[in-house]
Amino acid sequence: MTEAKPATKQRGASQAAVAWRRFRKNKSALAGATVVGFFIFVAVYGVFFAPLPSRSFWCLYNSCADLPPFQNWAHPLGTEPSGIDVFSEILHGALGDLYVGVVATAISVLIGLLVGALAGYRSGVSGALLLGITQIFFVIPVLILILLFARIGQLLVAHGLGLTLIVVILGIFGWPTIAFVTRGEILRIKELEFVQAARSLGASNTRILFRHILLNVLSPIIVLASLLVAGNILTEVVISFLGFGDPSTSTWGLLLQEGFSYVRTSWWVSVFPGIAVVVAVLGFNLLGDGLSDALNPRIRE
Amino acid sequence: MGELLRVDDLRTYFYTEAGVVKAVDGVSFVANEGEPLGLVGESGSGKTVTVLAAMGIVSRPGKIVSGKIFFKGEELDHKSEKEMRKIRGKKIGYVSQDPNSSLDPLFTVGNQLVEVIRTHFEDTKDQAWDKGVKLLKLVGIPEADTRMRSYPHELSGGMKQRVAIARALAGEPELLVADEPTTNLDVTIQAQVLDLLKTLGKQLNMSLILITHDMGLIAEMTKRVVVLYAGKVAEEASTLEVFQTPKHPYTAALLASVPRLDRKEVLVPIGGGIPNLITPPSGCRFHPRCAYAKQICIDQIPPLEESGQRRLVACHRWKEIDLRRKA
Repeated sequence: MTEAKPATKQRGASQAAVAWRRFRKNKSALAGATVVGFFIFVAVYGVFFAPLPSRSFWCLYNSCADLPPFQNWAHPLGTEPSGIDVFSEILHGALGDLYVGVVATAISVLIGLLVGALAGYRSGVSGALLLGITQIFFVIPVLILILLFARIGQLLVAHGLGLTLIVVILGIFGWPTIAFVTRGEILRIKELEFVQAARSLGASNTRILFRHILLNVLSPIIVLASLLVAGNILTEVVISFLGFGDPSTSTWGLLLQEGFSYVRTSWWVSVFPGIAVVVAVLGFNLLGDGLSDALNPRIRE
Repeated sequence: MGELLRVDDLRTYFYTEAGVVKAVDGVSFVANEGEPLGLVGESGSGKTVTVLAAMGIVSRPGKIVSGKIFFKGEELDHKSEKEMRKIRGKKIGYVSQDPNSSLDPLFTVGNQLVEVIRTHFEDTKDQAWDKGVKLLKLVGIPEADTRMRSYPHELSGGMKQRVAIARALAGEPELLVADEPTTNLDVTIQAQVLDLLKTLGKQLNMSLILITHDMGLIAEMTKRVVVLYAGKVAEEASTLEVFQTPKHPYTAALLASVPRLDRKEVLVPIGGGIPNLITPPSGCRFHPRCAYAKQICIDQIPPLEESGQRRLVACHRWKEIDLRRKA
């Protein structure tokens, strides 16, 4: 390390503190964090600012349907021909997209960490088997399967479950990358001397795996998870756009799909949610890149 | 002088895809209380694996094929993993080669010391913390209280090695194994760490096994030496005897490759490299590199013979050849 070390410092700089110092200096990372922070704020509190409730056709009966944007300040981003207010929908949709992005990612990270950790730590038959399963999940055409399961699920099981069904499916298909990276990192870390040192000093296998190995794997996983949130939001948009989404819950994908049918006449219905998707996904990507730079010990300022 | 660690005909093989690597192939030695023992040999001669096997922590694809290990007369190889954990760190402490990677980068020095202390003793966190501070003072780290809160990357290599030693001492072991403890340190720091190991041994009544390839360290630190070559014991004797009258050509070759200040001589490297241990050379494993090799060395494995009081050598020709260095 090259930082100056004040002798009077009370607590040493943890890796997290060092990473934060590096993160703070990275402008695009900060921009990403700001966008993500704003996105989360809108998702959580947007409901208080939205002029109309979610999926409301109020305008259809109050002669404000199919308004262009920037003309009526009660409906700043215009309305759909069906009467839905675009601005309200974007605010409500943020929550749906955050839900999809974060919860599906959490499911993927959980499965990926577990499978990857076991595959890496057990080098025998069970490890090879888990690696094989991961590879199978990696090569199957995920999108088609997701669409298939979404349709089957909607028809058979989950009437009214809607978005949660999509979240679960995305989570179940999103973990292979996490598992690969976890496995690779564990294979690397378990050969490091501090693992052997812990073992030589009487630490149990569980303690070594959770305290010394898994904690050291976390930084690349945090980066991946941030990128995966962006990926999941995009996939949700694709699913909705293709008409396999949940038509009763507000998401940006649903709005895009509705707008697509009259994009020639009412362009604003699909353009504004499109911009929202791009900005949010860009935000998560910048955040992930920034985290990757900040957490990578090989990059020193 | 009691017996601490006895290794009897230990064989540890690594089952790799290329074949079975016989890393340790019938190694025996005894480490006695208060008699620092050196395990010496080139890289790949099986020094580290021998010790790891004795502690039961050879990782896959390595496997202990046969052999017995005793600690203070107690047989270790029938013990369960749980019982072995009470021996590792508590009876035998281990300091590994590279201080830069032997400490977990995510935890403070104090954290890592407390972890080991609380593994082996029923201390509260505060008690363990105080013990940790004492340990750091013991290994000569200034401002121990502050350093407890430092992360490994904030310390220099020498400091890290001191912390690693402190951590190995945390279980108050009776035997400390130092595996090339100075290889990755600057020369000036090396001397400090060696001094530390020496004084600690006396202060804590703790015995030492030193693993190294450096005959200079052996002379400085140990009273007895086991010379390993390609997974077998080449020679075992007191340090003094090894330096004065080496009996195995390999020992002599190791000595000839160490520079000396007291006389002018040409350093003689040992020709060739350590043999492939999947298909080791026939007969004496050293014969392809040995200046004294004869037909018998190619045909027969030399037995480990007594060549004096508490002296063993595995060479067919030890009686005939004179390896003493010209004065």
